[in-house]
Amino acid sequence: MKLRRATIHSYWLMFVATVITVAIVTSSQLITDRIGLLLDRQASELLAADMVVISGREFDAEYREVAKQHGLRVSSSVSMRTAIFIDDNPRLVELKAVDNAYPLRGRLERALGVTGERTYASGIPASGEVWVGSKLAELVGQSFSLGEASFDARWLLTFEPDRGGAIFNLAPRVLMNLEDLPATGLVVPGSRVRHRMMFAGELSDINRFKIWLTINLKAGEEIQDLENARPEMRRALERTRKFFALAIVLTLVIAMAAIAITARYTANREAPKVAMLRAFGISQRSLFRYYLRQLGGLWVAATIAGIALGWVTQFPLQWALDGWFGKSLPQVYSLKPFLSATLVGFLALAGFSLPYLVNATATPPMQVLRTAVNRRSWLRGLLISGSAIVAVFVVLVLLMQSSMLAVATLALVLVCAFVLPLVLGWMIRLLLFSSQRRFWLRQYLLSRLQAVSRGAIYVMSGFSLVLIAILLIAVVKDELLGSWHEQLPQDIPNYFLINIRSDDIDAVGAYMQQHRIESSKPYALARARLTQINSVDIGAIDFVDPRAEHLVKHTFNMTHARELPDDNEIVAGEWLDADSPRAQVSVEQGMAERLELEIGDQLTLTVGSKTLRAPVTSIRSVLWENFKPNFYLITNPELLADMPQTGLMSAYIEDRSRLDLKRLLKRFPSITLLDISEIMARVRAIVDKASVALQFFFIFALVSAMIVLLAAIQTGRQEREIESSLLRALSAHTSQLYRVHVLEFTLMGGLIGFFSASFATLAGWVISVYFFNIEFHFSLAVWAYGMLSSCLVLTIAGTLVSRRVYNVSPMKILRS
Amino acid sequence: MAEDNLCIALNQVGKFVDTPDGKLDILNNISLDVKYQEAVVIKGASGSGKTTLLGLMAGLDQASSGDVFLFGENLARRNEEQRASVRAGRVGFVFQSFHLVQGANALQNVMLPLELSGIDNAPQLAIESLRQVGLEKKVNTLVEHLSGGEQQRVAIARAFAIKPQVLFADEPTGNLDAGTGRQIADLMFHLRDQSGTTLVLVTHESELLERGDRQILIESGRLL
Repeated sequence: MKLRRATIHSYWLMFVATVITVAIVTSSQLITDRIGLLLDRQASELLAADMVVISGREFDAEYREVAKQHGLRVSSSVSMRTAIFIDDNPRLVELKAVDNAYPLRGRLERALGVTGERTYASGIPASGEVWVGSKLAELVGQSFSLGEASFDARWLLTFEPDRGGAIFNLAPRVLMNLEDLPATGLVVPGSRVRHRMMFAGELSDINRFKIWLTINLKAGEEIQDLENARPEMRRALERTRKFFALAIVLTLVIAMAAIAITARYTANREAPKVAMLRAFGISQRSLFRYYLRQLGGLWVAATIAGIALGWVTQFPLQWALDGWFGKSLPQVYSLKPFLSATLVGFLALAGFSLPYLVNATATPPMQVLRTAVNRRSWLRGLLISGSAIVAVFVVLVLLMQSSMLAVATLALVLVCAFVLPLVLGWMIRLLLFSSQRRFWLRQYLLSRLQAVSRGAIYVMSGFSLVLIAILLIAVVKDELLGSWHEQLPQDIPNYFLINIRSDDIDAVGAYMQQHRIESSKPYALARARLTQINSVDIGAIDFVDPRAEHLVKHTFNMTHARELPDDNEIVAGEWLDADSPRAQVSVEQGMAERLELEIGDQLTLTVGSKTLRAPVTSIRSVLWENFKPNFYLITNPELLADMPQTGLMSAYIEDRSRLDLKRLLKRFPSITLLDISEIMARVRAIVDKASVALQFFFIFALVSAMIVLLAAIQTGRQEREIESSLLRALSAHTSQLYRVHVLEFTLMGGLIGFFSASFATLAGWVISVYFFNIEFHFSLAVWAYGMLSSCLVLTIAGTLVSRRVYNVSPMKILRS
Repeated sequence: MAEDNLCIALNQVGKFVDTPDGKLDILNNISLDVKYQEAVVIKGASGSGKTTLLGLMAGLDQASSGDVFLFGENLARRNEEQRASVRAGRVGFVFQSFHLVQGANALQNVMLPLELSGIDNAPQLAIESLRQVGLEKKVNTLVEHLSGGEQQRVAIARAFAIKPQVLFADEPTGNLDAGTGRQIADLMFHLRDQSGTTLVLVTHESELLERGDRQILIESGRLL
């Protein structure tokens, strides 16, 4: 019984480290699921729903019923192109009729005119009224006919959440109440209308319904959700999620480092007891079983405590994040976070502590008579490192969404684990070599760090790993946010001018220049459908990527260009030879990947009623987040010469230039103006919210780091006390003892900070460039912050935690 | 007030500790004088209080009652800091478990108390001291690479390097085999004879007991 109590006492540090590990997984998964859901909701506002099904025909009533059975909210809309008459002149408009539930996500915005104040709408157009897009601003306050019915244009529609999608294909918008649609008589058999049924609800309900819907989908119906929504939004979300995964794993690595350090400490403490028990004839196998039972008990207790702690921790975090996010985090009901936490706790504990305990059970019984180092055989050394590597790898694979990122993180951990002790050891030896005249104080400190028996190098390596993880989170976070903000400068285009007639392109350009409105050069825009790949009908090809289905039915934006557009990069093949008469096409990377296109593949495209064929000569990466005109397909000028096309321009129009805008629309009536500032604001909001969420992980990492630090300092406390006692007996004063410890921690901090900053910078560069595809900027500030923070934290925490050491009685040396 | 020729004087010294079962007396009413240059050997069974007595005489611990004089200074009313000042440069120690600084070589270990006391020519004095214990060829060897006997020699060199007025040795041969223990004892007494250092040695070995000028037996916290 006494033995059991003593064991539990020596295990408490390991228990705390395991509790923290389990708590991190529990709370981070609970919170990230909820943050992820919130970010999805933000993005959902661009669909006006969580999921949309689109068709040219009316939907079965069953869809609505089943969706409601799944607890979802449902809304319907019908859109079509039709003509209205203004002063007896026909104008093509994009009519959209919506029901009272619209929009399910996001809000409509309206104004009384182009220069009027924009306000949120509390509902949809009332029966008998319509809201019109900016292109029809002159109609506000007037009545006009739509088919057989007449409507009052009461408001200017300034924003509708789901005006994404095929943004370049928009005629001026007219929004009306769905109840009024039959009265117009516009929808007759054979009309080209687009029916949309929108769904919103809890993520799990949406996912269950999506499975049902996918099975029951009719021909010609297409599901649209965040996966195939706007590319710029998808990229922002993907990066955010990747970073969350990285931040969680790095935080976990810190917690697991704590388990490793405390396991080593526990095993060392257990060694004399093992020697005594073995001397009394207890077999190694019995001892192993005994420790296995102890570890099992520790795992169960730590899992329960960790899950409880993690569950409780989400509430203050939720409260803090609610304030920042401006709205409540949505609830997620899932057992996954708890199961993951239990499993990770087991893996970490088994992987890091079991081998140390195996080593401890091999303590020779001779040690009861004479203290001797229990030298590890190479096999046991291999077992200790091998099982730790396997544990880390399995945890990474379990938690990371990107296998490449998992392998890279494992590589980073391995480099740290194996290279850091060597490098730190060499550095200390170098410093020792450079100063040989006096022993006290510098050489004394360095000898303490070098002494194998104190394990200072391993403690330093453990803390280095922690600091590297923290600096890495900080470095990548800064690079990621910096890169996003670089891509979203304040003066990026906020309007697209589309449907510019070919004849008007030069005049529009001159108008913009005359009125000092910043604008891009005009692009030709053709709408193309991909019908065949290598002469095989695209509908007959079985693509691996499910997102390809969306592209099969998609109408792509196509332009011609002589030079590669800004922010585009060739990833395969060669850029178009503009002077060559032969047909060539450059394909966007994402499209190429989903449709499994390779250089040389022959594409058959239809533009209007015309067909063109061209081989893929290059594949380009496109920076969708830059909000400049971006194209899936670019051909050489020759190829598009005879195809139906319009002009496209992007422009940055400040509020004070709105009147110029009105005049522009009057002078060039074919132009449709698309305000994309709201979409940009949403992407910016995601970036800002992501930044807050990242700060949260940073705090988590810091808390774990403190645990590691405390565990590390705690593990060396006994040796520290003996040494202080010796110095006391050798007549050292308190100030000298104090100086030894402060300088020791500062020296450790400096060395750890230097190497951590170096490794973090290197790893940050690799991760930024290869996984987030962002440019990396080397900064000396990382070294400055790394060394300063490491020195300060280690010195302050170490001095405080070791304060007992300064007052240790010199009698301890006689008693030890 | 202690007499001038007394290196150490204990006057009705008691030491007790509080335990859950009440007060536990470790030393009871001890009065003892040690003259300069005298070699005193304290012998007693385990738990008899001999190490506690050594600690009190050396000023490593504070008595619960009575007065302890070291070099004529009463340690009873001094805190650890002040007691350290009394010991500085005048007291040497040799421990059963050597207690050398791991990661440092023999020379550095011997230099440590010299430098702590602010003595300038520490390397020369340390080398000389190591030569006296026969380790002049191992000055740059890390102490963890030395044998038990050699480590204790380094500890003795460290103790004598500061030319102490009194050397306290706690079971100096306890961790060594008989032959090595005898060599260490010879070395210690030889150096003590050469330097005239006062020696207070705690042991349970009869052979060492006979080598002292005076033997003190302690049992259950009382001198016999």
